[in-house]
Amino acid sequence: MMSPSLFSRVRRGLDFWTLVTIAIVVVLIVLLILPIARVFILSFFDAKTGEFGIGNYIQIFTRNYYLNGLKNTLYVGFMGTLGACLVGVPLAFFTSRFRIKGSALISTLAILVLVAPPFIGAYSWIMMLGSNGFITNFFAWLGITTPTIYGAHGIILVFTLKFFPFVFLMTKTALSAVNKSFEDAAENLGCNAWQRFFKITLPLVFPAVSTGAIICFVLSIADFGTPAILGRGFRTLSTIAYSAYTSELGGTPSMAVTVSLVMMAISIFALIVQRRILATRRYASAMTNFPVVHKLTGMPNLAVHVYCYAVVCIAMAPTFVVVYTSVLETNGPVFTGGYGLTSYVRVLADAPEAILNSFKFALMAVVLIAIASGLISYLIVRRDNAVSGAIDVLMMVPYLVPGVVMAIGFVTTFRTGWFDLTGTGLIVVMIFFIRRLPYGVRSATTNMRQIKPSIEEAAINLGASPLKAFVTITVPLIMPGLIVGSLMSFITAINELSSTLIVYTSGTVTMPVKIYISVLDGEFGLAAALSTILLVCTGICVYAVFRLAEDRDSTFI
Amino acid sequence: MSSVEIISLRKSYGDVVALTDIGVNIASGSFYTLLGPSGCGKTTLLRTIAGFHFQDAGRIVIDGQDIQDRPAHKRDVGMVFQDYAVFPHLSVAANVAFGLKQRKVPAADIGRRVADALRIVQLEQFAERMPHELSGGQQQRVGLARAMIINPTVLLMDEPLSNLDAKLRVDLRAELRRIQQDLGMTTIYVTHDQEEALAMSDTVCVMYGGIIQQAASPFEIYRKPANRFVAGFVGANNFLSTAVQGGRVILKASEQVVGELAGVGSAPAVGVTATVRPESMRVSFLPEAAQEDISIPARIRQISFIGREVEVIATSGTGEDLKAIVRPTSEILSLKPGSDARLTFNRRDLMLFENTETGRRLT
Repeated sequence: MMSPSLFSRVRRGLDFWTLVTIAIVVVLIVLLILPIARVFILSFFDAKTGEFGIGNYIQIFTRNYYLNGLKNTLYVGFMGTLGACLVGVPLAFFTSRFRIKGSALISTLAILVLVAPPFIGAYSWIMMLGSNGFITNFFAWLGITTPTIYGAHGIILVFTLKFFPFVFLMTKTALSAVNKSFEDAAENLGCNAWQRFFKITLPLVFPAVSTGAIICFVLSIADFGTPAILGRGFRTLSTIAYSAYTSELGGTPSMAVTVSLVMMAISIFALIVQRRILATRRYASAMTNFPVVHKLTGMPNLAVHVYCYAVVCIAMAPTFVVVYTSVLETNGPVFTGGYGLTSYVRVLADAPEAILNSFKFALMAVVLIAIASGLISYLIVRRDNAVSGAIDVLMMVPYLVPGVVMAIGFVTTFRTGWFDLTGTGLIVVMIFFIRRLPYGVRSATTNMRQIKPSIEEAAINLGASPLKAFVTITVPLIMPGLIVGSLMSFITAINELSSTLIVYTSGTVTMPVKIYISVLDGEFGLAAALSTILLVCTGICVYAVFRLAEDRDSTFI
Repeated sequence: MSSVEIISLRKSYGDVVALTDIGVNIASGSFYTLLGPSGCGKTTLLRTIAGFHFQDAGRIVIDGQDIQDRPAHKRDVGMVFQDYAVFPHLSVAANVAFGLKQRKVPAADIGRRVADALRIVQLEQFAERMPHELSGGQQQRVGLARAMIINPTVLLMDEPLSNLDAKLRVDLRAELRRIQQDLGMTTIYVTHDQEEALAMSDTVCVMYGGIIQQAASPFEIYRKPANRFVAGFVGANNFLSTAVQGGRVILKASEQVVGELAGVGSAPAVGVTATVRPESMRVSFLPEAAQEDISIPARIRQISFIGREVEVIATSGTGEDLKAIVRPTSEILSLKPGSDARLTFNRRDLMLFENTETGRRLT
């Protein structure tokens, strides 16, 4: 079936896009498939004896240390997701069905919560509710003992407040697209408002809620910063993997990767289950009748407003605390009272390279991502063949692979007898590139689908080579998508912690790594100043996305 | 301008054959139209000539040179697209200049030639506009100017008028034909609109099922369709069933002998279908008709007045659908559905075909 066209293609010589396909496939094999395969193989070698077998997996499912970690991971992952749904779905319903003053502000704050680094949340909560936190101290002064923030419920709280925007934004988009006639029909058939919501509206937006929930779950499972900072003996698979890695340093990190792979398997399993459930629920309907936004009055109006603003303000609290802490006067790790810029001065003295590295690595990765995502989006949209289909599927993989797995895969793949890239900036750039490439590809692909193929054919027909047609016609037309995708990649790359923590050396420290180390050292002032810088950079990018993206709510999820 | 010769071209997608042994000869400067229903292979053929699809076998020869293995950007054939494909981020002038820039034409020449091309398509005052400021018809003029400015060996047009509204389509059709004749451009034009094909072309090539059914002048296509498919696709037609007895073809609806198949040999096993154009039919109320005329008793079903003429829909005594297009006389317009009449026509307006989808013409 393929043979005549394949034959004639070979006869005509390899065209530009065939060469691009080959190049992309090679890059994906080297940077994605090979490291994951290495990690997979590594998990079958015993950490101490080096024997081949399933001993590592047996340990995880028999030894209490690992079993507890597995249980803890599932517990905080599930509860965090549940919390995110319980907070996010009502918020979505209120903002899409009732007139809320400043509802654009609520969406914006939710997006800011989403893009702020997760560990900022964790340690800010320590500053508020930790053993010496100001809220803890305030209640202690009143004679009330507040529950501790450390351990499982602290992690669940942070996950809930950190990840609810995914559920919120996805559900809100879906709710705004539910045909009002369904709800009208239910009302006409005798349903009251509550029955209507639970029997009609909620089932209709279930696909969106579950997609948001699954993102929460996958991110919660893989989250390292939060349990690392708040855990205090409550260990999850990601912290177990990291400490296994640091204790196995120099040896083969096979226990670390086995734990990470179990983590990844949970995510993939959850995703498959969700897809299975969704496959039987496809609600296509012609959009004729848009939902009405009601104006509430009196107490219900007040209650709804209080709820909406309380949620986003509590979720934003860590950010406010960080910014506030960064301008507190310090002397070393000690807050001395009063305000000042000492922390910022110390950042410039102690950690200028962290800022420089973060920008250098993220920018280099983003340039590569922009180029690759332009080419890949073309292949996915325009080239209807098995290889471009496979590339499309592979673009899902980085979402599911925890940073720890990717980093250990890189370390083991790129440290061989012939060359050793570990400790170089290049390895950090490569990890950023492969982990954040899907953001760029997704954005560019969306844009590419809006461009008629005849536009490129016209350019080629007029004598432009395929490369020239791509550069002079296609690239300018998908530029908005490329820029938005690049900004999204940049935001997520510059906040990357879990993989950098494994591959960094003194020369390649990044801002998140430096923040993490500072928090562990109790250098809260320094961490706050660095976090503020990181937040400002992120905020600027978010603003740029707002200005450029057509549908800003769904760009971030 | 150049002559085009296509020799034994074949193309299939998996098991689906898109083009079967296509052979075409197009004289330099002529307007050649590929006409057929959707999926007939006309667009595939055009895009194969442009180099957007590659043939499985066969040759495409333009001015004696084989171009079938050249990449699309080295073929020097101009193309006008159904959806205009005007570059949305470039001005009208930059769109038209695009092909010249690829050919490294000096800037001074580009300016002059762009102005000339825009004048030909009557867009000279729109040179600096952006495409989104233009109407569909204007955008397609940009598409035309952009394609013809490179002096292509052959101009390919893929249903260029089908996205325009009816009135504009007719106006632009005449203009396209005028420009084509003024410049003497060899043109291959794809359409599914038979009126467009008949009005514009030197040669109409009717395709169906990836096969060329007939390539001839519009007049010949209409008056002497090569097979039953062409007879049905180009222009309206009445199909009447027949019985063949001893080489004599008898029209079932009127029980009259309408042809002899002696010269053709034995009658085809699949049977014979007779066709007659609606405009050849007359509606008669008198039982006696002229000797040589065929006369079918029928019951009137519907009378539709469409301005210049009247469409009469009737059912023959044998249950066949009949359609006549006649002048709107008061007698005709006063006909009531359900009344009886005779549909008559001259025997020489009747054609006989083998009774298959693409059965050949017998007389």
